Amino acid sequence: MSSTTAATGAEGRVRKDPEGAGRTDDVPPRPGGNGLRKDRLARHNLAGWLFSTPFLAVFLTFMAFPIIATLLMSFTDFGLRNVTDPLSAQFVGLDNYTKLFQDEKFVRALLNTLYFVVLGVPLTIGSGLVTAVLLNSGIDRFRTFFRVGFYAPVVTAIVAVAVIWRFVLDPSEGLIAGVGHQLGFSTPDFLGSETLAMPSLIVMAVWRNMGTAMVLFLAGLQAIPTEVREAARIDGANAFQELRKITVPLLRPTMLYVAVMTTIGFLNVFEEPFVMTQGGPNEATMTLSLDMYREGFDFFHMGYASAMAYVLFVIVLAVTSLQLRLLKDKTS
Amino acid sequence: MSRTTLSTGLALTLVSAIALTGCGSGGGEEVAADAKQTLTVWAMGEEGARLKPVAAEFTKEHPNIKVKITPVGWDVVHQKLVSSLAGKKLPDMAQMGSTMMGEFIALDALEPVDTKAFKRSDFFPATWDSNVRDGTAYGVPWYADVRALYYRTDLAKKAGVTKAPTTWADQQALATAYKKHGAEYGTQLQPGATGAWQGWLQYLYSTGGELLGKDGKPALDSPQAVKAFKAWGSYFDKGLAKKNFTPGEDAAKDFSNGKRPMFQSGPWMVQNINDQHPELKGKWAVAPVPGDKSSTSWVGGSSLVTFKDSAHKAAAEEFTKYLATPKVQAHWYEVDKTLPAAKAAWDQPAMKNGDSSLPVFEKALGSAEAVPPVEKWNEFAVQIESALEKIARGADASATAKQLQKSAAGLVG
Repeated sequence: MSSTTAATGAEGRVRKDPEGAGRTDDVPPRPGGNGLRKDRLARHNLAGWLFSTPFLAVFLTFMAFPIIATLLMSFTDFGLRNVTDPLSAQFVGLDNYTKLFQDEKFVRALLNTLYFVVLGVPLTIGSGLVTAVLLNSGIDRFRTFFRVGFYAPVVTAIVAVAVIWRFVLDPSEGLIAGVGHQLGFSTPDFLGSETLAMPSLIVMAVWRNMGTAMVLFLAGLQAIPTEVREAARIDGANAFQELRKITVPLLRPTMLYVAVMTTIGFLNVFEEPFVMTQGGPNEATMTLSLDMYREGFDFFHMGYASAMAYVLFVIVLAVTSLQLRLLKDKTS
Repeated sequence: MSRTTLSTGLALTLVSAIALTGCGSGGGEEVAADAKQTLTVWAMGEEGARLKPVAAEFTKEHPNIKVKITPVGWDVVHQKLVSSLAGKKLPDMAQMGSTMMGEFIALDALEPVDTKAFKRSDFFPATWDSNVRDGTAYGVPWYADVRALYYRTDLAKKAGVTKAPTTWADQQALATAYKKHGAEYGTQLQPGATGAWQGWLQYLYSTGGELLGKDGKPALDSPQAVKAFKAWGSYFDKGLAKKNFTPGEDAAKDFSNGKRPMFQSGPWMVQNINDQHPELKGKWAVAPVPGDKSSTSWVGGSSLVTFKDSAHKAAAEEFTKYLATPKVQAHWYEVDKTLPAAKAAWDQPAMKNGDSSLPVFEKALGSAEAVPPVEKWNEFAVQIESALEKIARGADASATAKQLQKSAAGLVG
């Protein structure tokens, strides 16, 4: 909350001036001397406040208020019948939170989400890094073409992506099934199988997100001085050694950013199961966000869904701070 | 007061002003039917667009009432209605899906139907009953959906079946015959996920079961329910229907290419097949849903509701009356291809000269039963759907039914 500290800071500064303590209220400021300085300071603050008012208004109405309201709501039984009179919701303490961990569906969704993150994040970072390195050094002529190609999935609407991936994965007429048929082996029903549905969504998510990682890594790679690489090569390092000992360590700041952002994105996974499987088959692809959405908007258990949101928030916070600690730049 | 605090105060006032303008005003004075006014109506998706010219006709008869139709997508309408209710910004009237009735009745958002203007006996009883809670009706049936069996007659003939299946055993025999003669699956049947209950409820009703018992509690582990679960599940056991659900499956496509030459669905499929697969003409037929004790479908569709906070209730009643007249109901069939809920509409020329499948649907409507208005229908349906998914995947029907009964018991009552 930077705004509060700024406010107290400004007040503090005014009060520190012993002479001016009562004067601002009682005596009109005299021209020259202390009065002028104080006047200027106040005017200065006023301008600052006026400039930040639009931001503050938007922030308080659309961010701070919902965040606090959700927290409060998570301790109530807020449901459909309370929408007309929000204050009639009953305070239930930690009931929602204790209920969550006895809710089989929630636990399943939690495990599914962790599965998605544990497999999806390293794959996204890995494939993003590899394509970035290849694009940075290997291909010269079609660089822009490939950059656009790999980044296109990131900016494509999820609905279009879903249409394409359903076609790819369709068990009877899909791309994979067709190729398999030509080669003479049968392909499974990817989205219909409890064991394969989640891996299919992970592959899709990696495909969708590696473009972002790639672009960030490309930027990071440009920042690595060529002298270091040259020195390594003169010392006789091969391509793999160069990647491991030069590129990856020097990319650490980028890596940290990519890892944190990808993990947060993957922990919040919603779109892929929403458009592809609706959480099925048999809840094999039910994720935290999807479960939260259904509880909140399909069933209108707002209190319960708010508690879910805060559990997810705590998980994101914990994982992120762990990452920040582990991947911190140790050279500085 | 120093300027710093002044400006903080200013900022706060601004913020709260913005926050407060979000909360609108409540309802006002009732406006008489003959006063000049604008009636706001929400209708779903395509139907909203199709309703506009009909509303224009209405305004010709009632020049003082302008009708403003807002089409709202089926997928978002529930959320929009709930948030408008919370913000007191509801329209005067809306089209309401039959399974949403229970919830909005419970929320006390709907105005009871004026029984002097609308009579139960004018409509198919099931369409009326799905709007009734504790003896009070809250919506006037507009159009009805009822299930029927669609099957490929050409492929049936090839497989040696010449008559429409009328019993559960007939239906399964036909599915088996289809499969033997080259169909990938004998029938299309949704094994789970959203909407799966729509393929099962006719089994329950046809064997004399009920969703809610006489005591108003769920009756999902009754002997009839178990029997319905078993009959439904047998198609998956025997490999006659696909066990895995794929979102976005196109029943009409699989029907036309003969991969799944049979399914049960609502009246809109007649139009879908005619439009998308004209080459199928004469190669398929519609029959009543095969039954056990009886052939009993359930009724879906939409009703017209007036909201309690509306200031234009009299005008809303006029518009509802207009839409419920036999002529307009029959015209709506021509425009929208949905079935009239008013019985008299079926004597109109538009209905008499309509599609050849209409008599099947008319008969089904007469014998159909209502889906009771359950406040937490969404949750209730999800419980049924997850039980169905388990059964499709081979779980024991009676054990699953017991479990379902337990989880559904907390949702109703």
